[in-house]
Amino acid sequence: MASLQIRNLIKDYGSFKAIRDVSLEVPSGEFVVMVGPSGCGKSTLLRSIAGLESITSGEISIDGRDISKVEPFDRGVAMVFQNYALYPHMTVRQNMGFALKIGGASKVDVEKAVQRAAGILRIENQLDKKPKSLSGGQKQRVAIGRAITRSPDVFLFDEPLSNLDAALRSQMRVELGRLHAELGATMVYVTHDQTEAMTMASRIVVLRDGIIEQVGAPLELYNFPATRFVAGFLGSPRMNFIKATVHTIDNDHLHLEAAGLAGRLRVPLLHADNALDGMQSGTDVIVGVRPEGFVDGDVEGYRDWRIEGQVAVVESLGRDTLLYLNGGGIKAFDSESHEGYLAIHRTRQLQAVHGQQLQVAIDPGAAYVFDASGKTCVFPLAPNHLLAGAA
Amino acid sequence: MGSRFRWVQVLLYGFVSLWSLFVLLPTAWMVIGAFKTKREFFLDPLGMPASFDFDAFERAWGTGVGGFLLNSMFVTALSVLVIVVVSAMAAYVLARTDNRWMRLVYLVIVAGFAVPVQAVIIPLFQMVSGAGMLNSLFAIVLPYAAYGIPFTIILFYAFFLDFPRELEEAALLDGCRPVKTFFHIVLPLMGPAVASAAIFQAVFIWNEFLLALLMLTKPAVKTLTVGILQLGGEFTSDWAAIMAGLSIAVLPILTVFILAQKYFVRSLAGLGK
Amino acid sequence: MSDTSLAKPVTGPDASTWILLTPALGLVILFIVIPALLAIAGSFFTIGIGSTNWQFAGLANYTRALNDPIFWLALRNNLIMVVGSIVLQVGFGTVLAAILDRGLPRGSTLFRTIIFAPMVMSTIAVALIWLVIMDPNVGALNTLVKALGMQPPTQGWLGDPDIALWVILVIAMWQYTGFMMVLILAGLQGIPRELYEAAALDGARGLKAFRHITLPGIRNVLIVAVLITTIGGFKVFDLIFATTRGGPANATQVLGTYIYQQAFNLGNMGYANAISVVLLLIAVLLGWLQLQVSRRS
Repeated sequence: MASLQIRNLIKDYGSFKAIRDVSLEVPSGEFVVMVGPSGCGKSTLLRSIAGLESITSGEISIDGRDISKVEPFDRGVAMVFQNYALYPHMTVRQNMGFALKIGGASKVDVEKAVQRAAGILRIENQLDKKPKSLSGGQKQRVAIGRAITRSPDVFLFDEPLSNLDAALRSQMRVELGRLHAELGATMVYVTHDQTEAMTMASRIVVLRDGIIEQVGAPLELYNFPATRFVAGFLGSPRMNFIKATVHTIDNDHLHLEAAGLAGRLRVPLLHADNALDGMQSGTDVIVGVRPEGFVDGDVEGYRDWRIEGQVAVVESLGRDTLLYLNGGGIKAFDSESHEGYLAIHRTRQLQAVHGQQLQVAIDPGAAYVFDASGKTCVFPLAPNHLLAGAA
Repeated sequence: MGSRFRWVQVLLYGFVSLWSLFVLLPTAWMVIGAFKTKREFFLDPLGMPASFDFDAFERAWGTGVGGFLLNSMFVTALSVLVIVVVSAMAAYVLARTDNRWMRLVYLVIVAGFAVPVQAVIIPLFQMVSGAGMLNSLFAIVLPYAAYGIPFTIILFYAFFLDFPRELEEAALLDGCRPVKTFFHIVLPLMGPAVASAAIFQAVFIWNEFLLALLMLTKPAVKTLTVGILQLGGEFTSDWAAIMAGLSIAVLPILTVFILAQKYFVRSLAGLGK
Repeated sequence: MSDTSLAKPVTGPDASTWILLTPALGLVILFIVIPALLAIAGSFFTIGIGSTNWQFAGLANYTRALNDPIFWLALRNNLIMVVGSIVLQVGFGTVLAAILDRGLPRGSTLFRTIIFAPMVMSTIAVALIWLVIMDPNVGALNTLVKALGMQPPTQGWLGDPDIALWVILVIAMWQYTGFMMVLILAGLQGIPRELYEAAALDGARGLKAFRHITLPGIRNVLIVAVLITTIGGFKVFDLIFATTRGGPANATQVLGTYIYQQAFNLGNMGYANAISVVLLLIAVLLGWLQLQVSRRS
């Protein structure tokens, strides 16, 4: 168990800047998930910690010891690879004990460590098999077991679940959570899957273009995304983004006009702070509404923000229903559907069919407002959108 | 549909069988000929021998075919060993290092693949004879290795490019420096690639003729390809002995091929890829 | 997806890099690169049998080749070998491969092994077997031809300048068609079965499927097969040396045997070098083409 510090890390590939000045503090025992789209630098960052990449400048230290010039195997880190990277010609036992054997440990010690790791992962009866005869989930357990055997200061995970099917993935998420609780170890986990980040992390680090966009606990980031990028990245389906213009600002509300919306959207200014500086009538902004931030169109008091649309796609999830609505004049941009459908989440069963007319209304109390640069200016009455969704 | 299908199938089997017969008959005729008497050869070239004895093999062996066989085995084994070891080392470095020099080295080696021995045989012979390397079984291994290396490097290079980088990275994190990684992780997994390259080169070196013809002129050092050429001169009309000598030259490599054809074919497929 | 393709470990290359490279590189340079350069250099000199005495001759060796009818005959014979081998070996190889790939419910491995086997036999041995088979006294071929009521050639199969080269083409076909078949078969087996199933659902079967799925699928392999055969046709030496030595009356003379004759029988090393350079240029050009095509697939 150890803490990890990264200070002013920079990594260039020629003229391409993979990581531009990243600093991060990971306290001992924390499960940090680094998340971001392809090419954001998360894998490079992880591999730099492992020593598989040389860094251009900066410092990486574990418990205060600078390891950025240390050979990979002397850093006290163990890594779990996306493709498992199990040695095909060795049995599970040999795979798990390899590092200790190379390090010169006695046979008894190696066996003891392997047995302990196998016990934690419940793979005692697989020890004499070759990786070829294991299923994907078993391979991943062995790969994790190989890391545990070494009792490293820091565990590194590089998208370890992305080769598994959906059912196994959610099972392994629970497993990894249990493992973290059991070992109490410091873990750094890289993924592009926001669900993994939300469910497992003590803290999430959102990366974008080689820069840390925001760091925080999962719900903190979900409820108070600092930027439109973070808001769009966490949460599934994505937040709906609608273009709007400032009409007026008064003490309590921001009044916005959006094409296709009958009335002006009256967004309460509870968490606005000073972010509205420089905003005036006519400034372009972006309104963000999570799929659960809508109410039924005929609810008293919300009629002004009614959207009359046609149901394009219905996804019944059992208790919940996801609707993709063709909002006519109201179009979501930068969304999951190219057509600009609005994603709407209802926490009940709906018997909607394709083409059916449907009225919903934006709940202004659940709306985010982002300025042109992507910074969040107005947060909703968090976590009020959960209540709004139930309406 | 059903009967037409059957007729097509008969036709296809017929064609393939005919071709197989075309291939098999001369080979079978060679082996059978080794058991015939001179008289049987003249009277009935297509006939079978009256009895099967190995006299002709003994006569052929007596004129040195046994020695040729040993020489071929020695030269082939040593050359293949050198080719595989040297090519594996070089290909590993080439596949794992990316800079201008390595690209140049790879280019030189690939260009070597395109150069036929026939086209450079004169200076090659002059160099080899100038260095006093004629009539030495050890010396001929060097040019044999040189001409086997380019294709083997190309094969191994492709193998290393496909080799999962993550395995080497895992080994690095597990405490292996590059040389240890090569011996603990990479080499044990090279088995099939090595087998493919080795059998392929073995066949070519076993059958090589031109260099052997020029470099190995003393009877004691001749390999089979050169040795059997003089059989016709030794036995003016002892056809059975000639056939026995040819059988001794052909059957070992044929056996090796049949046992290891999986690897041989894989190596060939590398030519098309 | 991830950035691993750009990866480079901290423990990079060092002096050991060159230690690992040197044996291979040294052998290739010593026995391939330097002789090739010497051949090119030597082609501008007159070199005697003793070969210590080099006299600069300018382009004389090349003009001599241009005016040497046997050089042109040899080149023409190489071209006949090339075209004939492509037609026979690649042609029959493709047919056999197509049959083995999808035509036979069982037995294709056995047929493949048999048909490919001559490829691993020494060409010298193959030539000698065929020499005996074509022997007028004890050979099986004449007996067979006579049994079929035909007359074998009076000067022998390889003694008649009009047919000798064609007979050699048949022997080459006997030895190498299996090689082409296996090469093309590998290409055919690389075509996913689902493509044929999809095409069948789209109504393309039989020849239509061959035209739209098979041919495009093995296009590159076919080009490589043709190139390999072409290179082989220019490099041919063992087979002709062991059967006719280029005769009768140069009817089967090719560049390889002519180089040998000029250099080692007549002692014209400089002139032989000039012919070697022609062969070298052809081979390197074709080899380069082969790698280009291979790389694309």
